[in-house]
Amino acid sequence: MATPERVAIAAAGVVTPVGPDLEAFWSALVTGVSGISQIERFPVADLKVQRGGEVKKLGRIKDWCGVSDCRATRLLIAAADDLCAQAGFRPLPLDPARVAVVVGTALGGVEEGEKALAGDRPRRRFREALYDGPGDRLARWLGARGPVITVSTACASGASALATGADLLRRDEADAVVAGGYDALCRFVLRGFNALRSLTRDEVRPFDRRRSGLLLGEAGALALLVRERDLSGPRLGTVLGYGSASDGFHIAAPEPEGRGLERAIRAALADARVSPRDVDLVSAHGTATLLNDRIETAALKRALGPRAYEVPVNSIKGGLGHTMGAAAALEAFMCLLSAQRGLIPPTLHLEEPDPECDLDYVPGRARAARPHVMLSTSMGFGGCNGALVLEAA
Amino acid sequence: MRAPAVRGLGVLSGQGPGSGPAPIWTLPRPERPGDRFRRATRECLLALAAVDAMLEDGKAPREAIAGERTALLYVTAAAYAASNREFIERRGGVMHFAYTAPAVVPAEVAIEFGVTGAYGILLGGAPSTLRAIEQAARLLDEDRCDRALLLAVEIFEECGDLYARHRRYTRWPLVETAACLWLERGAGELRFQSSRGGKAAKPARGGERFAAGPLADLREWLDRGATGPLELSGRWRDEHARLGWSTVRSHARGSAA
Repeated sequence: MATPERVAIAAAGVVTPVGPDLEAFWSALVTGVSGISQIERFPVADLKVQRGGEVKKLGRIKDWCGVSDCRATRLLIAAADDLCAQAGFRPLPLDPARVAVVVGTALGGVEEGEKALAGDRPRRRFREALYDGPGDRLARWLGARGPVITVSTACASGASALATGADLLRRDEADAVVAGGYDALCRFVLRGFNALRSLTRDEVRPFDRRRSGLLLGEAGALALLVRERDLSGPRLGTVLGYGSASDGFHIAAPEPEGRGLERAIRAALADARVSPRDVDLVSAHGTATLLNDRIETAALKRALGPRAYEVPVNSIKGGLGHTMGAAAALEAFMCLLSAQRGLIPPTLHLEEPDPECDLDYVPGRARAARPHVMLSTSMGFGGCNGALVLEAA
Repeated sequence: MRAPAVRGLGVLSGQGPGSGPAPIWTLPRPERPGDRFRRATRECLLALAAVDAMLEDGKAPREAIAGERTALLYVTAAAYAASNREFIERRGGVMHFAYTAPAVVPAEVAIEFGVTGAYGILLGGAPSTLRAIEQAARLLDEDRCDRALLLAVEIFEECGDLYARHRRYTRWPLVETAACLWLERGAGELRFQSSRGGKAAKPARGGERFAAGPLADLREWLDRGATGPLELSGRWRDEHARLGWSTVRSHARGSAA
């Protein structure tokens, strides 16, 4: 079988509740900073849970190039601005027709629809609520003229986007791909998760026996993907493989045994051509809901076998909240930064282990280690399961 | 890329003008027994009906598509707008929030028909559907599945007043469509091409169906008993895509061999 084209993550850029760029994001993860706060950007007084991972300031961008004031678009562009700073360019030093954009989202620009229907915006702006709009506007901001793709596998969207971007390069549809995920906090999603009673009034405590739910967050997270053979400069790491699988069980609840996630992990490892023994770090979906963390633990044990007990498994949602479409991309970047910096961020607010969650979840403080192969898992509404395998530079 | 073979194709197409201010050809909400569907949205029920139609076309029982060797790809440009609007305007009181997610449409199919393989969801118009056919062909070629289902659903009625404000940007009539294509390994060559810019597309024959357009075109081609190579094309925002299919081997009704 032919060796697949290797795709590098050359650089990454983010905007998150814990910091407006990649360095601030990393620093907050390893020092245990929380970005959870009272939501200020829109009214929440009627909601039971009024906190989340809100981005308070959208960075230093001076030139929005005429893009709309859609929050989702601006999160994407703020992440792209950081990406350009990290990679040291803008505009992209490539033929624009060979630069693609692939973004994942759970909500798109739905807040624009919410505002248009409420009369806060002209009704004609409802069309900006189409979920593929922010990706299109990001491409315009970047000057990219290649394929523009929006994927929406709920909270696994960021992983799907990185994998889709890598595929574009392997098929020679592009020479560079800006890929990742985003989602903005808005009343729509906060009302929805309040109605589902998934949100906690406590801290977000992944894998802790006292865990009582998640909090939502907002973020943008983008990577610059290129074929490794085309790259002469430094890189963060490599996208080795991806797997997905449907639960086929329930529209909102995960399959109780985690069989779908297990299939996705196995598919990702096979795609990456690595065995469970090769995995050095797992970035868990780790939402801190009662079901998710137990199910994910069970799926990891079956998919990785004895290795599940030997590798660190962390969740970064305790400090960020669940950033939905951005989550998997942020978690992928965390993995690669762990390898680069030799530190694994802790699972924030994990203090009292749950006997049913008996893996090594990196409680307390960051741990010195330099993982080489990393697995990142995601689960979303509709039984969307995704897994990414990444390799250190 | 090796071209896939068509095993079945179900297409449900808008039957008559709706009641709103925009010229929309609407599909009625399908009836489906069982308490599980009590709160299901119209787009979900139409997706299930499209799969039923596909199975009928392929003369296959529902068990034939169950399991982890079946991949499921879903494409839509705007079907979720209806449930988003209902959730927004009823302030979350009636609509189950999960149904606002585009991912829930293929999820209902996966649940109902036991489909548990690889999946993908692309949001956009006809170019996304053509890209999804190419993705399905690749999944088959790489042995990641034995069959791939490509689902496309577009509904417009619930947001008809909003579409009516965009007559300058939208081609009329809007034709609600739910379609599901069953692909298996085939022969011949499949070529996907995409570019951005250029002139606006001519009005689609028989109305605008967004992401579901290419599958309606394929159905029409199969029904004509056409032979030889097939080219499907489509446009969305400023992307124009074409899919060349050198040999459409098909087991579907009205098919060319």
